[in-house]
Amino acid sequence: MEFKQKNLQKIYKELLQDQKKLSLQGLKKKYISKQGFISEAFNKISSIKIAERAEYGKEANELKNLYEEISQSLSQNKNIYSTREKIDVTAPFDFNTKEEQRPHFLNEIGTQHPLTKEVEIFTEIFKSMGFNVLESRQIDDDYHMFESLNFPVGHPAREMYDTFWTEDGFVLPAHTSTMQNRAMRMYGPPPIAVVLPGRCFRNEATDASHEFTFHQIEGIYIDKNVSLANMVATIKEFLEKYLETSLEVRIQPSYFPFTEPDCEFVISCPFCHKAGCSTCGHSGWIELMGCGMIHPNVLKQADIDPDTYSGFAWGFGVDRLTMIKRGINDIRLLRDSNLNFLKQF
Amino acid sequence: MRVTTELLKQFGDISAKDSEYEKLIKEHIANVEYVHDLSKDYEGIVIGEIVEKEEHPNADKLGVYKVFIGNKRTQVVAGDKTLCIGDKVAYLPPGSYVPYTYYSDEKPVIIEAVELRGVKSNGMLGSEKELNLGPNHNNVFRLPQEAPVGEPFSEYYNLNDTVIEIENKGLTNRGDLFGILGIARELTAITGNKFLSPTWILKPQKKLHAESNCLNLEIINDAEALCPRYIGIAIDNISIKPSPIWLQSELVKLDIKPINNVIDITNYISAILGQPLHAFDYDKIISNDNAPDNKVIINIRMGKEGETILGLDNKLHELNDRTIVIADNSHPIAIAGIIGGKDSSVDESTKRIIIESANFDKNSIRKSSMNLGIHTDSATKFKHSLDPEMCLPALIKAIQLAKELASGSIASNIIDIYPDPQPLQKITIDIDKLNRHLGTSLSKDVISTILTNLEYTVTSSDKTFLTVKIPSWRKDIQLAEDIHEDIARIYGFDNIEIELPKKEIRPIRDNKIFELKKKTRKLLSTLGLNEILTYSFISPESFNKSNLDSNLAFKLKNPLSPELSLMRTNLLQTILPKVKENRDRGFKNFGLFEINIPHVKGYFDTEGLPKEEWHVSSIITNTQESKHSHFYIAKKYAKAIFSEKDQLIKFSLIAESFEQNIDDYSKATMNMFDPNVSAFCYLDKEVIGIVGELKENILLEYKLPQNTCAFDINLSKLVSTSLPDSKMKPVSIYPNFSIDLCLESNLDIKYSEIEDFLKKILNSAGSWGNTQCLDIYRDEKIPEKKRITFRIEGGENSKTLTDKEIKEKVSMISKKLNSKFGIKVI
Repeated sequence: MEFKQKNLQKIYKELLQDQKKLSLQGLKKKYISKQGFISEAFNKISSIKIAERAEYGKEANELKNLYEEISQSLSQNKNIYSTREKIDVTAPFDFNTKEEQRPHFLNEIGTQHPLTKEVEIFTEIFKSMGFNVLESRQIDDDYHMFESLNFPVGHPAREMYDTFWTEDGFVLPAHTSTMQNRAMRMYGPPPIAVVLPGRCFRNEATDASHEFTFHQIEGIYIDKNVSLANMVATIKEFLEKYLETSLEVRIQPSYFPFTEPDCEFVISCPFCHKAGCSTCGHSGWIELMGCGMIHPNVLKQADIDPDTYSGFAWGFGVDRLTMIKRGINDIRLLRDSNLNFLKQF
Repeated sequence: MRVTTELLKQFGDISAKDSEYEKLIKEHIANVEYVHDLSKDYEGIVIGEIVEKEEHPNADKLGVYKVFIGNKRTQVVAGDKTLCIGDKVAYLPPGSYVPYTYYSDEKPVIIEAVELRGVKSNGMLGSEKELNLGPNHNNVFRLPQEAPVGEPFSEYYNLNDTVIEIENKGLTNRGDLFGILGIARELTAITGNKFLSPTWILKPQKKLHAESNCLNLEIINDAEALCPRYIGIAIDNISIKPSPIWLQSELVKLDIKPINNVIDITNYISAILGQPLHAFDYDKIISNDNAPDNKVIINIRMGKEGETILGLDNKLHELNDRTIVIADNSHPIAIAGIIGGKDSSVDESTKRIIIESANFDKNSIRKSSMNLGIHTDSATKFKHSLDPEMCLPALIKAIQLAKELASGSIASNIIDIYPDPQPLQKITIDIDKLNRHLGTSLSKDVISTILTNLEYTVTSSDKTFLTVKIPSWRKDIQLAEDIHEDIARIYGFDNIEIELPKKEIRPIRDNKIFELKKKTRKLLSTLGLNEILTYSFISPESFNKSNLDSNLAFKLKNPLSPELSLMRTNLLQTILPKVKENRDRGFKNFGLFEINIPHVKGYFDTEGLPKEEWHVSSIITNTQESKHSHFYIAKKYAKAIFSEKDQLIKFSLIAESFEQNIDDYSKATMNMFDPNVSAFCYLDKEVIGIVGELKENILLEYKLPQNTCAFDINLSKLVSTSLPDSKMKPVSIYPNFSIDLCLESNLDIKYSEIEDFLKKILNSAGSWGNTQCLDIYRDEKIPEKKRITFRIEGGENSKTLTDKEIKEKVSMISKKLNSKFGIKVI
């Protein structure tokens, strides 16, 4: 198109109209992107006859000034800028909406996420056993994540937790144990019985069985004369209720700085009853969770006297149990939001 | 941590079958990664002697050998032409397995008699790699000359053994279990026997006599805080050669590469005791250093900025002042506890050595190893806190073996810099408390037997207390509870009879937000929406795409990738791409919602931590064409979420309320919404949610249709308001009336004002009434007006209204509406 002053005037008029119709982004695209009208107008300046050039340049500048004025006023009012007609938000529906077009809920079958379903089942069982529910934080500090749990600064076990940190020094909990100290203070003095579900994060590469975002449920129980025998019985009771079958349990030694003794809770495979299947890796047994008697230093951090009280704690991954229960073979599906997956639950 | 059953048996008194070791370790010590029974791997493999050698007629690279295997000669073709007559080899007959292939990913390879390019090969001659003894695969593995021809290879090479790999994680606080002796001690106690450390460990003989010319050696420790003990000795007349088969075999089984007798000795003792040793070449230090009088000065000090060292890994490492180094008079010769230096390393020409046995601070080694990226066996051991008391026994044992296996002779005193030996710690155990803690009823005798079996010493005891001295190597034992764990482990967790706690019966506290979330989840999934969970991390670009400000987002210091480097400030941000992905999959009418915590910088709670509030956010998209705003669909869902609290919520158009009392979160979120077709939801004076249509540029960005709406509601704020229980109003016993009223009002009068006003009139002075909106009509020709048709149902508490009275009521209503709003009833 040959650029003449006539064109510029036309563009000027169009711009005046467009400012009411287009968004800032739309205006940008139409006028000042590489092929935008105003950019073109300036690119063509050399092709204008010398005699007309001064006048052309003046008008092009005016056009540009107008654009800048409009864009500035739009970006200042960006928040409230709209090309739409205002509606009455207090009404139940828009003007002239025919009866059959009135707003309605989707005529579809909705779904609840399998993970949150499982969290609800777990907490319901623990509630029935007299445990309070307190959800975990998603950003916490070093004290709760490590120090209060008997991981002083420089403790080698800190490395076992591939923890994310924010630039301002906060920590993204790598385990729900980050809530132990808080739960003890909130629900103390003993007896204290709390389950602590929550989202956790670990800085590790993702594959079919590893996620950097996952769900855990922690539990603590503190009172006078609480024993390791009580711990095993309580966790077994919960699992038998959850899995609706009787189980054989084994306790194996493990290591956590915040428990002493530290244990791994192992159950007979509820699917094959020890015959060996793919779920238990053909061993007949499944290592389900870490647990142990709460370390005296952890109790002290919450001003609970370890000479008077003792307690136990456990924590397990919700993702893994959900996957086992539902036969989900790839952990990444849980946070992929694929309706083909979600609609199965 | 790798152990072999034969070494465990050699050091421990373990009353269990080999096959039970795995279970015992799992149940009493730590998890086992795998167990390999080597004896099966080498079945059928015998020692052979090359008796004839021929060229292969059809292949340049193959040799044809006659091998004598004790009772017969057989012909084997091998890809190694360097074998000589008289060489001893490992012969794999047809039918035997190639040991290496047991551990590769594919199926184990079975040897068959085959023809190789026309020459019969009756079996195979194994390489080091095929025999799973090391990495060499170029040559056939040669055995020493004295190897007995015809004997099983596994017997000669001590391979009738089982390897057990224990998970290091479970040993994190147990430096003492990084030596095989430590595991042997545990297994001895687990099977009920008393472990006795060998005398050379408990009472190492320190006074040794120099047996040859004294070599000049001086040790200066300038880093005592991080090196509590350093021992060195010089040894002369070393003859470097391969280690005897028994030692090579032990190392191979422990996955340590045999190198030469001196290095093998240090590695072997390190594996047994868990105390790393290092050998320096005395002469190399002398020639590299500028020390006076032909003297070796060993200086333990911090590294200096700019210093470098060529490690045994052939890499040049840059040192700094946070790393402990072992230096001579001028330069570093080793990175303490981590790796030796190439320039002072022992090789075939070495004649005189210095053996180092030292203890270093675990944290310092851990940090240096991490910073330098050097992960050696020695560093792993030091990281887990070792016992300085083990330095001397390890050195004494090394001297003994150096004399036996490398013909060395002692050429200096033992120089032992150990300024501050720690006395053994004592801990008193309350028997009753222990039993209460574990839920057991163990007698004092049982407890004291377990502890003495583990080499604790009982120093005093009465009926209820037991005081024990903690072995020097048990750095993990600090409290009585730590000893409780030892008792529980050795006694056996599974031998403890389980019992439910005796618990007080008391109600639990409400967790209102947890319950509201649960209810909301149920509600929305019942109303056709799908719950999703998305990541909390998001890319910086996502902020532009959704009109949000990335400066308000928490930034990760160590993100997995730049795409996951910021934390979302709004849940809609991560729901948007998921809507697009599902549309791309072919879904057209659907809604996604997530209940989670968005994080915005700059807001703190009473703990001084970033404020965390639960939101429910949703995007609903639809292909159904409509000229009406989809705001009303989102509003319908929002009202369902508010449920009984809906009566407290006011919807206010964003375009008309953006200057009011709006918190920064809502200010940021409103940039996602089109202000003319979206509303703030006010609870009292506070915005608790935004409902409406997304801005055009966001729809374009995610290729969403115009018929898309969204909401974002702060459930934590919603839950914090509570409604009082509603009280009963009089129940009318008279029939209701029902009339339809059509009102014409100016466009700018809000629907809710009219409806609220109507309800107020209807519910005053002994009467009651409800309204229902039937229609809202706007004539294009009179755009400044609208007509709303209400159906009114109501009545009086005290009588039945007559038609006349109803008419009067309507006229009263229309008068009031007219005077208040200028509304006409048509």
